[in-house]
Amino acid sequence: MGLKEIAAADARIILNDKITGVAIPIIITDPDGVVGNLTGNTNDIGQLIDVDTGVAVSGRFATIVITIADLTEAGLGIPRGIADNNKKPWLVDFDDVNGNSYKFKVEEIMPDRTIGVIACVVGAYE
Amino acid sequence: MAVKVLDKLIDKEDTFEIVRDKISEILLAETANQVDLAAAEPNPSLWAFKVYLERSNAFEQFLPEANAPDKDVTPIVNIWYDNGSFPGNQGDTVERQVHEAVYNIDCYASGVSSDNPAGGHNPGDKAAALNVQRILRLIRNILMSNVNTYLQLQGIVGRRWPNSITMFQPSIDNRATPNVIGARLALRVKFNEFSPQQTPEILELVSVDIKRLSDGQVVLEADYDQTPPI
Repeated sequence: MGLKEIAAADARIILNDKITGVAIPIIITDPDGVVGNLTGNTNDIGQLIDVDTGVAVSGRFATIVITIADLTEAGLGIPRGIADNNKKPWLVDFDDVNGNSYKFKVEEIMPDRTIGVIACVVGAYE
Repeated sequence: MAVKVLDKLIDKEDTFEIVRDKISEILLAETANQVDLAAAEPNPSLWAFKVYLERSNAFEQFLPEANAPDKDVTPIVNIWYDNGSFPGNQGDTVERQVHEAVYNIDCYASGVSSDNPAGGHNPGDKAAALNVQRILRLIRNILMSNVNTYLQLQGIVGRRWPNSITMFQPSIDNRATPNVIGARLALRVKFNEFSPQQTPEILELVSVDIKRLSDGQVVLEADYDQTPPI
């Protein structure tokens, strides 16, 4: 097994380690309604939005990181931001550390096919 | 060495402050009025916006989550005095200066992506942009209505005019949620500013009448206090 395969395997272990690692359950729903119960890393922090008027607006910056292999095993493709309003978006559900559930829409993806992971920037969804 | 010459405390507002406050009063009163007028509409809250004056701290109103009890998606309007110019060929150097001021009326609106039960979804970025443009529409219509020709300050305001409208596109690295879009209506207002006038000291009072006598002579009849010579 080459170093890249080892790195990809390690990344998958880390992103699935709910016991000793930082991974948590993430539910991914594709535009066709196919649901995948995955595990990965999440990030949800406050961020100031600079709207260019000189006064900022407070917002959140949320991301998830999951492996492409896990998506494939769950029967899902690669998530992406859906701009068309006549299509359902890719949806992401996960809890914060206090157990509060949040639903998001995938807005931007950053796939890293070098080690088989994909980071998604997600936006609030109601 | 400078000499103190003003004999009155400067305790009045300048006209630019009066106009700034009046713009906020007009918008505050009119949004409430519009919501009342829209009572029969499906969603009267579309005519609502919050009005702030000269704020610079971050607005955190759009932060609470969908089910939070304090969630408030009402768009925000923040009014601030940006700059003023004083044309040299208008006004005078003694008492009155013509002030052409620009007030920035900044609008902020959020948009959260949501499901459309009829199919597809409502993108949050588009919703934010349409929401803020709706508020721009309301503000321009309110301020440019004929009832606000002089911003309800007739005799003080000479002219008001929308200098420009600017939409602020989000920066590339702005990936925060919810989507928030800013827009600005710059309002130019022309009015007079007055400066303190020194109370004159009467040195001597002289009254003069100009008369023509029956023989045609023009004479001056003066009336003044005089200490008779000793």
